[in-house]
Amino acid sequence: MRALTLHLKILITILVVLGISITAYQIFVLGIPVTEDATDDLWNIDAKVEFVASSKDPVKIQMFVPPLNRDYVSLNESFISNNYGVSVNRVDGNRKVTWSARRVSGKQTLYYRLVLTKRYSGDKTKIKGPVFRDSIAVEGPEKIAAEALLAPIRQHSADVETFISETIKRVSNANDDNVKLLLAGDPSTAHKAQIIELLLSIAHVPMEKVHTIRLVADQPQTPELWLRSFNGNDWLYFNPETGEQGLPSDRLLWWIGDEPMVTVDGGKKANVTFSLNNSEMNAIRLAKLTDENTDANFLEYSLYGLPLQTQQTFMIMVMIPIGVLVILILRNLIGLQTLGTFTPVLIALAFRETQLGFGIILFTVITALGLTLRSYLEHLKLQMLPRLSVVLTFVVILIAAISLFSHKLGLERGLSVALFPMVILTMTIERLSITWEERGGGHAMKVAIGTLFAATLAYLVMSVPELVYFVFTFPAVLLIMVGFMLAMGRYRGYRLTELVRFKAFLKAES
Amino acid sequence: MFGFWKTWKALEARGIMGINRRNADYVLKYNKRSLYPIVDDKIITKERAIKAGIHVPEMYGVISTEKEIEKLDDIIGDRSDFVIKPAQGAGGDGILVIADRFEDRFRTVSGKIISHEEIEHQISSILTGLYSLGGHRDRALIEYRVTPDQIFKSISYEGVPDIRIIVLMGYPVMAMLRLPTRQSGGKANLHQGAIGVGVDLATGLTLRGTWLNNIISKHPDTTNAVDGVQLPNWDGFMKLAAGCYELCGLGYIGVDMVLDQDKGPLILELNARPGLNIQIANDCGLTLRTHAVEAHLEELAAKGIKETPEERVRFAQELFGHIHQPE
Repeated sequence: MRALTLHLKILITILVVLGISITAYQIFVLGIPVTEDATDDLWNIDAKVEFVASSKDPVKIQMFVPPLNRDYVSLNESFISNNYGVSVNRVDGNRKVTWSARRVSGKQTLYYRLVLTKRYSGDKTKIKGPVFRDSIAVEGPEKIAAEALLAPIRQHSADVETFISETIKRVSNANDDNVKLLLAGDPSTAHKAQIIELLLSIAHVPMEKVHTIRLVADQPQTPELWLRSFNGNDWLYFNPETGEQGLPSDRLLWWIGDEPMVTVDGGKKANVTFSLNNSEMNAIRLAKLTDENTDANFLEYSLYGLPLQTQQTFMIMVMIPIGVLVILILRNLIGLQTLGTFTPVLIALAFRETQLGFGIILFTVITALGLTLRSYLEHLKLQMLPRLSVVLTFVVILIAAISLFSHKLGLERGLSVALFPMVILTMTIERLSITWEERGGGHAMKVAIGTLFAATLAYLVMSVPELVYFVFTFPAVLLIMVGFMLAMGRYRGYRLTELVRFKAFLKAES
Repeated sequence: MFGFWKTWKALEARGIMGINRRNADYVLKYNKRSLYPIVDDKIITKERAIKAGIHVPEMYGVISTEKEIEKLDDIIGDRSDFVIKPAQGAGGDGILVIADRFEDRFRTVSGKIISHEEIEHQISSILTGLYSLGGHRDRALIEYRVTPDQIFKSISYEGVPDIRIIVLMGYPVMAMLRLPTRQSGGKANLHQGAIGVGVDLATGLTLRGTWLNNIISKHPDTTNAVDGVQLPNWDGFMKLAAGCYELCGLGYIGVDMVLDQDKGPLILELNARPGLNIQIANDCGLTLRTHAVEAHLEELAAKGIKETPEERVRFAQELFGHIHQPE
């Protein structure tokens, strides 16, 4: 017996641990939302490219588009352009779209649209970057000014990180004569960044310029320049204006390097404007979309991988164990008396078709009428099978009558009854009537009400949408439930009703 | 909630067995599923008992098909009283007790006159499995009608009082006398309204009783005291019950016996899932006693001894008997 108990304990532990870890994996690693209502930001970025084409030459426009290799998942990307050939290629960690056309003229407008989300970005790939670079050659006064600037920077810094932020701070100080000389009267951010790069290159610190877009809705934007340096493990991002470190989470990296965003051959006055808007999207739908658009497929082996029709069936099926669990608790822990073990679950399933209130009325009416018929049949002394058949047929006729009647009255609800499992009703009537004869009307009523109560409770629990979603999305929960059921299988404490039943003992004692 | 917890603790302290414990620790542990048919089918029980030399009510005949219903008259012969039972009935349902003949008809024990056709319908219902566990086809058993000993005249209403002894691995642990009442319709099943009266295992003296989960000391129909009655031939009952372990091989059973005025103690049926109301009748929990028996069994197993039914009865009587009833 003890070995059996140990065996059971191990089994329960394995099941529960397995269930919990699979669910935790789904929630924390795959990031599948815990509730159906969880929404996620969905960003819709439009880049509008305008230029004037010269009528003589063929036109070729090249524009950087986000490389999308980190943090974000692109759900949809489209290039909207009439009469243009489109090709996308990757160059040095950038992605570039090339639109080309042989003969166009006048003002041209092209669109690039990207729909992306931050969630479900999958595993981060190992990042690599340069840790050393050659100095940019400078001559004359600039060299002296640069060295003069670098001396205190070296003094005030401890590592690459502090070195860069110190450099940015110095260069931002417009009163410094050395800086003035280097900037040569052009204090734009781009030029500043160039000076910073120069200074860093003399110290052999590698640096890249990255152009980012801020994910903020309904604001005109131009790409924002950031500097980044690789410290051996990760990229360190710096704002060239303020020296602020770390890229805010709402920045989307668009391209890297010195080149302008758009280059046009055979045209002029190229101009890019961004417009962004975000919408919220149901997280699980988002997950499905992500699945379709990337090779992540973490929903592949979940029930979402099934055809839609089958999914709906499974949504009901996975809830049956929950209903059974409710009955198990009601019977073995509470001690409620029900008709048969699983009849309440079947009735609860039937309630799905009819809705609760109507289902209870229907159940009561049909069972009451059926019992009346059954007690009449008792006088005829029929054998069991013919008698059951008569009751079943009667139930069918009754249901047909109710449907017809309610349809004539304009109650469409009555029609749902057609799917109300008749056999369940028939068996309920038969067993109830036997109980009635053997144990009396009071007991039969008690059992009937117990059954109805259990069915109602099971129905209510089974139709909690959050629970349906949860069990359907994380089917491993069923393993935890099996663990609980196993534990219940060797539960030997009192049932709640037994406390009342055996009260006589305590009365005698006191 | 706190009240429930207190009740829980108090019941546990008194060793009251709940359904969950009975099922998990006794029925599932000691009763092998494959042996259930022996007790579930009264005909098999009877055949086994006869083979083992245990007294049972005489079997007049068995009807197992609709066709055989025609043989009813041959089976009855000219007997005026007999009992028709479903072989696999549960809870005393479907039992028809014929006490007398009245012209061409029969009179049941409650005085109802029924025709030959009604008896045939009853048998047919039995055969279709109306009364059997799980609704399987069943057989009808026609047997000797027990005439209860005169001792029970004053404390029972119609029907046949029977004695239920719970036997764990051959050791009687608790006994109860079940008395039919007007409410139970002559049946001796507690859930149908019969009275359960505790019995002292050592002496066969009755204790107080339980009726519908309450403790009582008088029969509700006859108002005679049910406690303090000396049951005759008590040791005979005890030995009969203890011997049933060898008969069926099930470790935890309720043995139902009757005291016939001519034939003495007879075994009626065995029950693999005996009810728990016997505890209220005896005002005593089962768990303490079953634990004592289990401890004793372990001791014996260590020594490699197997006890005979007589020794087992003596053990149980010494340990659980001689209860002083609180007044």
